[in-house]
Amino acid sequence: MNESQVSVPLWVRLRFGHAAVQYIADEVGVDLLHIKGAAVDPSLRPSESGSDIDVLVRPGHVDRFDRALRERGWTLYSTFTYGSPFGHAQTYLHDAWGYLDIHRFFPGIRIPPARAFDRLWSDRHTIEIATIGCPVPSVPAQALLLILNAARSRTPQHPDIGTAWRDAPDERRIEIEALVADLDAPVAFAAAVGGLEQFRRERDYRLWKVTSRGGSRSEEWWARVRAAPTLAAKLRVIARAPLVNVDHLAHRLGRRPTAGEIVVEFFRRPAQAIRETWRGRRSGVGANR
Amino acid sequence: MTGLRPTPGVGTLEGDGIIYAARLPDGPIVVLDGIAALIWNEACSGDQATIAERVAEVTDAAADDIRAHVDDFVANLVERRLLAPLGLSSEWVC
Repeated sequence: MNESQVSVPLWVRLRFGHAAVQYIADEVGVDLLHIKGAAVDPSLRPSESGSDIDVLVRPGHVDRFDRALRERGWTLYSTFTYGSPFGHAQTYLHDAWGYLDIHRFFPGIRIPPARAFDRLWSDRHTIEIATIGCPVPSVPAQALLLILNAARSRTPQHPDIGTAWRDAPDERRIEIEALVADLDAPVAFAAAVGGLEQFRRERDYRLWKVTSRGGSRSEEWWARVRAAPTLAAKLRVIARAPLVNVDHLAHRLGRRPTAGEIVVEFFRRPAQAIRETWRGRRSGVGANR
Repeated sequence: MTGLRPTPGVGTLEGDGIIYAARLPDGPIVVLDGIAALIWNEACSGDQATIAERVAEVTDAAADDIRAHVDDFVANLVERRLLAPLGLSSEWVC
């Protein structure tokens, strides 16, 4: 057989990526659910989409899975701390399979992550991806995850809302609503499908308003502080606010930043918040605290 | 009679007549198009000793003309641990 470089379609690479990730999980005894993209039931995702691999990992297994991935050629690309404002996902990169997002919880779900995983795991089923058995959530749970994901997209007419919710049969909607109750996800759900204003008194109302409709960086941070469930969690958010996103800075620079560059970035961010507040006040909107 | 099957830990996909195979979890992805895909399918669906005959039948070639090439190709797939021998009583699976 001659060795030659040929292009491999994205759908092929992503499916093998799911299979490779499952292979590693099986090797080291990690429970995970394949979510989004190639793992989604065809009834919920009529067209092929996605550009990376997403899995939800049992929270207690995340450290073990992280070690296994790194031993198997996956490079950490961004961390839970800096990867997203919610701190829910960590990204890895592999030469053959591309990007992998491992989720330790799913934004919008308010019950504790371990309980949420148990709930989703309890009615999982297995699908074959590249001939490897991959556990996935139930179809209603997949629909809910797509809906909650769409709530973060700032796209009012997100196609997943149509497929997973608006066009869903009544019995599917009832199952989805039951899951929203089980997982305590009413605010994020409403941010996606409508009715967010009825949750004005909820601590995470502003967070989902900003997340789903946009807002300044400082509005987002204050919404995040408000949404934190405990005083300790609020303090953690506040403490993180002035920290420099080292992962983001490294990707912007194309290399690990020097100590001096981190210091410069540290001072740049508060300055930006002040400018946003100033602009907001001049226009009569104001950073909402 | 002996047959072949994808080695355990090898993932496969098929689309538009192309077979993609990869050893997991590291890869790389091997792309089998045209006659290569045909040989893979025949290798996984019958006796290893008659793969060349079955490929010849589909392609209208003379079995003796292609036997050496087909056997080399199959041997290479086995050497790469993409295909492995089946037990005598096992089913063929591809």
